[in-house]
Amino acid sequence: MRTSRLSWAIGFFLAFVFAGMALAQTDPGVRPGAINGQAGATQTSPLPLVSVSGDNPAGSLEFFENGLARFQEVEVVANGANNGLGPRFNLNQCSGCHAQPSVGGSSPASNLQFQVIANGIVSGSTNTIPSFITANGPTREARFPFFLNASGSPNTGAPNGGVEDLFTVSGRADAGSCSLEQPNFSMAEEANDIIFRVPTPVFGAGLIENLDDSTLIAVQNAAAGNSFGISGTFNHSGNDGTISRFGWKAQNKSLEMFAGEAYNVEMGISNEIFPQDRPLPEEDQQGSGLPASCLNLSGTGYPEDTTNFAPTISSSDPFARNASIPSDVVAFAMFMRLLAPPVPSPNTPGGSGPIARGRALFNAIGCATCHTPTISSTQPSNFTPSLGKSPVNAFSDIEIHHMGKGLADNVSQGGAGGDQFRTAPLWGLGQRIFFLHDGRTTNLLTVIEDHASSGSEASQVEENFDALSPEQQQDLLNFLRSL
Amino acid sequence: MCHLDLPGRDRKLPRPSVSALGRSVGIPTRWFRFLALLGVCLSLLARAQGGSQSGGTIPDTPPVKKLPTEAILVKGAWPGASDSVTPVPEGGSILHGVYVNQYFGLSYRLTPGWSEKYSGPPPSDSGYYVLAQIRPENTSQGTRRGTLLIAAKDLFFAPPPAENALELMNQTARNLEADYRVERLPSEVRISGRSFVRFDYGSPAAELHWRVLATEIRCHMVEFVFTSRDTELEESLIEQMNQMTLPSEADVTLGTGGGDAPVCIKGYASGENVLEEVDPVFTERRFNPVPVRIIFDKQGKVKHIHFLSAFPDQEKAIADALSQWRVRPYLRDGRPLEVETGIMFGRAPGPMTPMRTKPATQ
Repeated sequence: MRTSRLSWAIGFFLAFVFAGMALAQTDPGVRPGAINGQAGATQTSPLPLVSVSGDNPAGSLEFFENGLARFQEVEVVANGANNGLGPRFNLNQCSGCHAQPSVGGSSPASNLQFQVIANGIVSGSTNTIPSFITANGPTREARFPFFLNASGSPNTGAPNGGVEDLFTVSGRADAGSCSLEQPNFSMAEEANDIIFRVPTPVFGAGLIENLDDSTLIAVQNAAAGNSFGISGTFNHSGNDGTISRFGWKAQNKSLEMFAGEAYNVEMGISNEIFPQDRPLPEEDQQGSGLPASCLNLSGTGYPEDTTNFAPTISSSDPFARNASIPSDVVAFAMFMRLLAPPVPSPNTPGGSGPIARGRALFNAIGCATCHTPTISSTQPSNFTPSLGKSPVNAFSDIEIHHMGKGLADNVSQGGAGGDQFRTAPLWGLGQRIFFLHDGRTTNLLTVIEDHASSGSEASQVEENFDALSPEQQQDLLNFLRSL
Repeated sequence: MCHLDLPGRDRKLPRPSVSALGRSVGIPTRWFRFLALLGVCLSLLARAQGGSQSGGTIPDTPPVKKLPTEAILVKGAWPGASDSVTPVPEGGSILHGVYVNQYFGLSYRLTPGWSEKYSGPPPSDSGYYVLAQIRPENTSQGTRRGTLLIAAKDLFFAPPPAENALELMNQTARNLEADYRVERLPSEVRISGRSFVRFDYGSPAAELHWRVLATEIRCHMVEFVFTSRDTELEESLIEQMNQMTLPSEADVTLGTGGGDAPVCIKGYASGENVLEEVDPVFTERRFNPVPVRIIFDKQGKVKHIHFLSAFPDQEKAIADALSQWRVRPYLRDGRPLEVETGIMFGRAPGPMTPMRTKPATQ
């Protein structure tokens, strides 16, 4: 008995000692201070590229501000200023999900998807909040890797992977008689046949869009001699065969494609790139599509978002009129394209010395093999000077890498398989809340740990991180939160 | 509401074990209690949520099958082979503390207490293999810590182009980034009676040291990469490499098959050597490189195909086409030999590599 108590005491003592050591290095958390590291930026007014701030070329600033405003518009089904929402959707506003630390970012701390019933965006009599949407959790989209059969078992012979929109417009006053059920999330959860994605931030996206393929291939070749077990590849556009680069699996070629897909898939708004209302994957598979009562709910015909041939605006500014002509998708893409990249902090958190040491460690242990700190230069730009011949400090090689069993989501997109993901750009990381493709954690230490699993290209690098002293690990964490 | 007092999951918290403390200190009991409580809670939750969102549970239906957790079910471009008998580079495994790779004809006894925690990714479309990732099982503070990465680069496909392992290692050394400091330029050493090239470098920032030892086998650079803060540990591990079994061909410049393995020749299936040839027809536009290693038998017919990285439809198209190929039999001293070569189908990832300057026939 006495020995047993002694063992307990020793056990607890060791646990405290080692817990203390573990706490020696911690994620400093969301970096305080200027939003995106930019003086003058606010949550609702992120800054444009430098040349756009100077309105070079003339009118570009107007287009940026017009796109920013549309990015924050609240969409409705019908009878409003911004029609076309649904019949299925994940939220009614781009900036509802792309919100942290400012418009254009990623999941905010307070999840608007959790509030859709309370805020009257969906009817509580026809919709429930899925269990994986929580008040302070990440904003998410859901996908079922495989179609479920009638008994609720996943049919691994029928890959799905499409977005299962969380909510329906059914029961809304502006949705007429459209009656739709939500996807059967509880059944999918029971079968472990559901994965999640969080929004990717779009700061600096125009620079990534303007990288030439040859530059990316050169970066890939330069990394070929690494001693870390890393060898990635690229996803390609099915249309022209060039390197695609946006989205968690680099499945989208351009910002316009990215915007068009999101408008259609996340908000249910048909547009010039995706001109039909989108049924669920199951409705397509069963050959039914959307019921007639849920089509053309806006009453405008298709697509719901179009070029504005004859805009009616009161401004006498010709550029304001010009900026109002393009469709929402074009305006969204222009906003993202002209949005400035985040500026890293030189001294927060932890001071300039630790951040500098952390950066050196980031390179030394192999993080930089995939999270390429700087890609040398973009191609010349016909949009605005800041996009041309500029370094891209995205901390990404834009390649897709095998991330192993621990992160695999079993969704294939383009050439990317179930465990392949684009190297997530790390610029702006310091002010992000939720990490990894599904927002599973808010802790950077967990993120680093989750890079290692069977089948992952990053296991060796994670081992190298483990080999660092606690002080070195803290320096590296401080560096990451400085971005 | 079911409240779980979750045991600490902090990765830095060592879990006291019987061996570490001499006897159990109760943690397993706590875990047992936790798991039991978790089970009860989950079953209650499952019952509470039994009614599905559309229709509810139907009595007497078969139990729902669950997808396994942490499994890669949907694969992209993946390795494959025309048969399951012929060894392939990624086919090595650790058994009873020995890493054995039949394709490369090597066996390496792991240091006692070391094992592979995570297997590597599939071969890349540039011909890079992670063969094994080995580390001490006990990684708590104070343990002599290090890792061994056993990898291979296919000299038929690897960027940048290189004639042999020595040249590839020299390129690596020349391109070493400024974050590292060279501690020993590439130079030839003898390991287990075979020729290796050794390259040492370190990171002053990370206080880590890399020891890379490589040789060439079957036209691959096979490399052993030791990483540690502890250079004495690394030296002892390198010393242990002398117990390794290697094929007689292993050499920094001359590892081109032979013996029990086919002779390997870059670009053999090209030009006048090809007597009959049918191009594969890809039905999907995928834009990925598809590196393929082929063994031709003594009559010049395809004996084995190894797809390093291919989608299933690409594998089938290539296999259908290659089955109709015939090449000039490779002769050495007038005797026909099996020959292994590589062809890059699909989209080549980079600039074309120069042909191995070696007579195709004698």
